[in-house]
Formats: sequence, C-alpha cells, structure tokens
Amino acid sequence: MAEPGKMRILIVADERTIRRFLKATLVSHGYDVFEAANGVAALKYAVSSHPDVIILDLGLPDMDGVDITRQIRERSKTPIIILSVREDESDKIAALDAGADDYLTKPFHAGEMLARIRAVMRRLLPQSEKSLFTVGKLSIDLAQHSVEVNSRPVHLTPTEYALLKVLVLNAGKIMTHGQILKEIWDKTEDVEEALHLLRVTVSNLRNKIEPDPDMPAYILTEPCVGYRLCTDI
Amino acid sequence: MKKLKAKQNKIVPYFMSIALVATTTFLGGFIRGAIEPANIVIFYLLMVVMTAVWWGRYPAIMTSMLSVLAFDYFLVPPYLTFAVSDVQYVFTFIGLLAVGLVVSALASKTRQQAMDALGREERIAILYRLSKDLAASDSLEAVLHAIRMNVGGIFDCRVAVFLPADHGITPGSFDHDFPLDEHENTIAAWVFRNGKPAGWGTDTLPASKAHYLPLNTSQGVFGVLGVCFKDDKAGLDPGACNLLSALASQAAVAVQRAKLTEISRQIELIRETEKLQTALLNSISHDLRTPLVTIVGALSSLLQDFSSIAAETRKELLETAYEESGHLNRLVGNLLDMTRVEAGALKMKTKPCELRDVIGASLHLLKDKLEKRNIQMHIPRVLPEILLDFTLMMRVFVNLIDNAIKYSAPDTPIELAVEPLENKVKIEVKDKGFGIPEEDLVRIFDKFYRAVKPRQVTGTGLGLSICKGIVEAHGGQIFAKNNPDKGAAFTVILPLEVKET
Repeated sequence: MAEPGKMRILIVADERTIRRFLKATLVSHGYDVFEAANGVAALKYAVSSHPDVIILDLGLPDMDGVDITRQIRERSKTPIIILSVREDESDKIAALDAGADDYLTKPFHAGEMLARIRAVMRRLLPQSEKSLFTVGKLSIDLAQHSVEVNSRPVHLTPTEYALLKVLVLNAGKIMTHGQILKEIWDKTEDVEEALHLLRVTVSNLRNKIEPDPDMPAYILTEPCVGYRLCTDI
Repeated sequence: MKKLKAKQNKIVPYFMSIALVATTTFLGGFIRGAIEPANIVIFYLLMVVMTAVWWGRYPAIMTSMLSVLAFDYFLVPPYLTFAVSDVQYVFTFIGLLAVGLVVSALASKTRQQAMDALGREERIAILYRLSKDLAASDSLEAVLHAIRMNVGGIFDCRVAVFLPADHGITPGSFDHDFPLDEHENTIAAWVFRNGKPAGWGTDTLPASKAHYLPLNTSQGVFGVLGVCFKDDKAGLDPGACNLLSALASQAAVAVQRAKLTEISRQIELIRETEKLQTALLNSISHDLRTPLVTIVGALSSLLQDFSSIAAETRKELLETAYEESGHLNRLVGNLLDMTRVEAGALKMKTKPCELRDVIGASLHLLKDKLEKRNIQMHIPRVLPEILLDFTLMMRVFVNLIDNAIKYSAPDTPIELAVEPLENKVKIEVKDKGFGIPEEDLVRIFDKFYRAVKPRQVTGTGLGLSICKGIVEAHGGQIFAKNNPDKGAAFTVILPLEVKET
C-alpha cells in the first residue's frame, strides 16, 4: 500500500479534527500517513507500520503521553514529535527527557510542523553529511573544528565549542537542559551549578556568534525546556 | 472580685464582737458605781446594733449573748460571779437578750439588703462594661478578646473561649497560660454538646483544671467559656457563679452576633464575586465570539463559493481568518495566564534566569510583528542572574512590547532599556505613540479596563492586569507614565533577591 520512497508518518491524536488537518497537510506534502486515536493503537502501529516519524498528542484519553513516549522508545528509535498545550510544561519536559525528539505547542503553523519533521529526520542522516552546517551568516565545519561568522573565523573556548557542536548535531531540534548537560559536563553532582554554567556559556557564545546578542537569531531559548539551533532564517 | 473574697473571711467579725463587748464592759467598769447598771445596757445594745450592721446576724447574736454574760459577770453585783442579787436584773438580762436578738435580726436584714444592692450595682456595672466592650467589637476576634479581658479581669482568672470547628470545638481565643490539653478540650467539647456547665466546681468531671460554661442563646450553643481560677482551692460561691453565667449569656449573644455578621459578610462577598464573574463571563464570551464571527464568516464563504471567488479575495479571506484565529489564541492564553496569576505565587516556578535571555525570547515570539519596527535596545552586557518564572515573566515583556507595537505608529521607534539599581533591576518599555490619558494611568492595570481605543487596535483588557499580577507575584512593581515628549513608558522593577515563599 505504501509507495516506495515515501516517508511514513504516524499521527496519534484522539481529536478527529486534528488528525484530519494533520493528514491533509502531510499528504499534500508527499508523506504517507497512518492514524491512531488512542495509546493502545499508537503502541501497536509504532512497531507494526514502521513509521519514519511519529506525531504524538500528549493528551490521550486512555494512556499517559509520557508513558507512551517511553514505551515507544524502548522498542524503536523512530523520531517522536509531541503535541502539547502551553500549560503542560512539565509534561512536555518529561516527554522530551523520556526520548521525544521535539514538540509543537498547540495551536501551531503547518509550516512549523513540516520544519520540525525535516529537522528530526536530519538527525537520522549519517554523521558525515551534516558535518558542515550553515545558517544565516554562521557556518560551522565540525570536521575542521572551525566556526565562522561573516566568513571570519571566531575563536571559541572548548566548552563553547562543545555546546555549539551538540546544537549543530541536533540542529533544528530542541535540546533539553538535561540532555545538553549530559553531553557536555559528565558530572551532574550540582545541577544548579551546572545550569548556571550552561547559561553563562550560552550567553558568551551568543556574544561571539549572534549578530545581535540581545535578540538571538541562531541559538534560540525554549523557555524552561532548553535550547534549539535555528536551521533557517 | 475583692468584695466577695472579704466576705469569706468569717472569723474576724466574731473577734471584733468580742473586742467591742470587752471595751464596753471595761468602760462600764469605771462608771459602774456612779450610775445604775441598767443604764449601761443601752451601750451594750449599741454594740449589738453596730455588730449587726457591720458584720451581720450571727456576730450580732453572739454580741447579744456575750453582752448579757459580761454585764452579769462584771457589772451586776455581786461582781465577778454570774449570781444575781437583785431579781430585777434577770428581767434586764432577758430584755437585753431579746432586744439584742431582734435588733440583730432587723439590722442584719437591712445590711443584707444594702449588701445586695451593692452587689447588684457592681454586677450591673460589670455587665455594662462587658456589653460596652462587646458592642465596640466589630469582629469575632475582637468579641472573643473583649470576653477574655473582661472575664479575666473580674475574676482574676485565666480564660479561654472555645468555638465550634469541623470536628468538635477548638480554642478560638485563650490566655497563654490557660491549661489547654486533650483532657480539658474533651470537657469543653462535652459542654458544647450538652449545653451544660462542667469541669472544676461542678458535679460533672470536677477533677479538671478549669470551669466550663456553654455560650447559650435561644438559637443554640455558640461556644464554650473556660475559666481557670488561679487560687484553685476556693470553690465557686453562688454569687460568682450567677455572675459568671450572666457574663456567659451576654458573651453568647455577642458571639452569635459576630458569627452572623461574618456569615452575612461572606454572603455579600460571594454575591460580589458572582457579579464579577458574570461580568467577566459576558466580557469573555463577547471577546471570544468576535474573532469567531470573522473566522466562521470568511471560511464559510470560501467553502460555499470557492471557485467563484477571485484568487486574491480567497487569500484575503484566509488571511483574515488566520489573523483572527491568532487573536483568539492570544485571548485564551491571556485567560489561562489570568487564572494562573490569580492562583497566586504557589503556581510560580522561579529559577535563576538571565534577564537578557527572557527579553530575547520575548522578542523572538514577536519576531514577525517586530520585523517592520525599529526597536532600540539598551541592555548591559553584564547583569546578575535573577530568580524568575521564565515563561510568566516572558508574558509580561511580550504584553508590554506588543502594546507598544499596537499603540504607536509603525514608523516610530520602540525603546527597551534595562538598568540595574541597588538590589533591583529596572526594565523600561517606551513608545512614541498615543500615550495614556492621565486619569487612566493607574486604572489601565485593572481587569478588562482599556484606555483610549484607537481604531484597529484589538485587545482584551487583560494583558496589563496579567502583567501586574505576574510582576507583583515576583515581589516587583509595574507602573505606567507618559514620556515628556511623546508616547507611553511602562516600567517594571524587579527585586534581585526574591525571597522564597
């Protein structure tokens, strides 16, 4: 039934209208779409239909969205994009830490959703294909360990470079504070202290690479959740 | 109650009676040869009357009898013997005794009446003082305090007033040294349930430390008065007992009144709240429906006549619907923020934040609207971290900057400045727009209040009240003023050290 070469997306949402709008948008952009209206069906399809991306609404009637994320993650590495409302901040963070790849706050633009899907798929590409990253006037060559703004090299401290590298490797995808800390600082004894260091590092990095550090365009803050490296300006 | 105590000292009057009789006899001894002994009887009668008036009946009876004996022994010949030589003196003795007894009865009755009158007067004065204090009390707390102070002052005792609680009763107001423990509380609860006095000085559970009286009115029991005397050997005399129950019933009426006042106050509050909620609901449903009208209208016309509508018009209709849905989304967001703010600081999740980051994220959210605008930023590179609820504080800046965008011409600049002060940080958002009428400078922070309504500016009248709620929850201040030249300036002042609540 599925055409070869087409990306397969599983939509999990109990609201019929949301599924309908998602399906219409995705199909018109050339994706194959499967639907699940509850958690049980979601878990079944997540394995049996081999989707390339799963879009999961956290507010399901039968199961906890964070639980579903965890259970899917136990069985597969399929990228998961969660849909949540603004008030569910802690659920959102919990889902991201449980292995979800990104989130969209309802209501969201169709364009935003498509960008997120592209971003999480990018993550699946082999390492070599994304060693060169460019956005706006910023270009980073991971193979060469070089960072340039306006074609002029920028000198970064090892921590700043490590942080930028993590963001580049996950470009377009949200990285939670916890995920970044785990990647850069091995010891997580004093989380508060580490978070403070992270904020300082982000601030310094912005001073070096952002055109206007007061209005960051590359390294975006996801309030209370983490940071995201912008992929298109 | 000093008078009640003096009365209890019962032996002194008898000694005084003996002393009076002895004095009379002693003086009589000097003149016994000069005058007829029968005349001295008059002085003895005087003593009987005095004793009766001063100390009451029984000392007077004793004085009568002692007088007869002393008169006989010392003043009637033969002296220093009870024998009588002249028979007529027997009649004198009988007369003296009889007169003494009658006089003592009459005099002591008079005295009792005078005493009673005095007691009544004192009682009335006490009750009057209490009722005056109670009338001046405008809250339940003040009523309880007045009861405690008055009863404690009159009886020189420790007082506790118990009030009904969810399960049984609880001490509402009490002297710090009142013996409050589980046992005492149980007795108070029993008194409350049964409406009868109990505890010390009664037949019910007399082993307890304090005496408990119900605060009874015709409507039922409103509480329990606990009285613990400092001198716990003395029992309660009937007078004190009566006075105490009179005070208790007066206190009961006052407590009942205070409770009724409180209830009616609460009802009034509920009514006000309901009125406000209705107004809120009306306003909200109107605000919710307005964008829906546009959305439904635009989309339905597209559905119906899709092919006959020019491509350009189609796009226009879709854009209108999309814009209005954005408005609707902001409105719902504002309402949710409002409830969060009203739920109070409990819902705040403060963490150390970089103010520059909060502002940057706020500006990012308004990216599309800011694209055409000139925004001038003055943020120091080095700022201390500050304890904030990141998302809530973002709402403040988004609202303020969005207002600046909405209420000023597109070609005018918007200024955003951050200035560290001592222990505080000041954030200012200035525009060169219409400004705010002087009389609205304070009111614009009220819920659903909107100042001048320039054409084409949509809003809910919630934004600024949310800002105020959020800033104040952070222990900060927000105020508005007009720039000396043109436009409005909003200032947020946040403390650098927010105490954990």
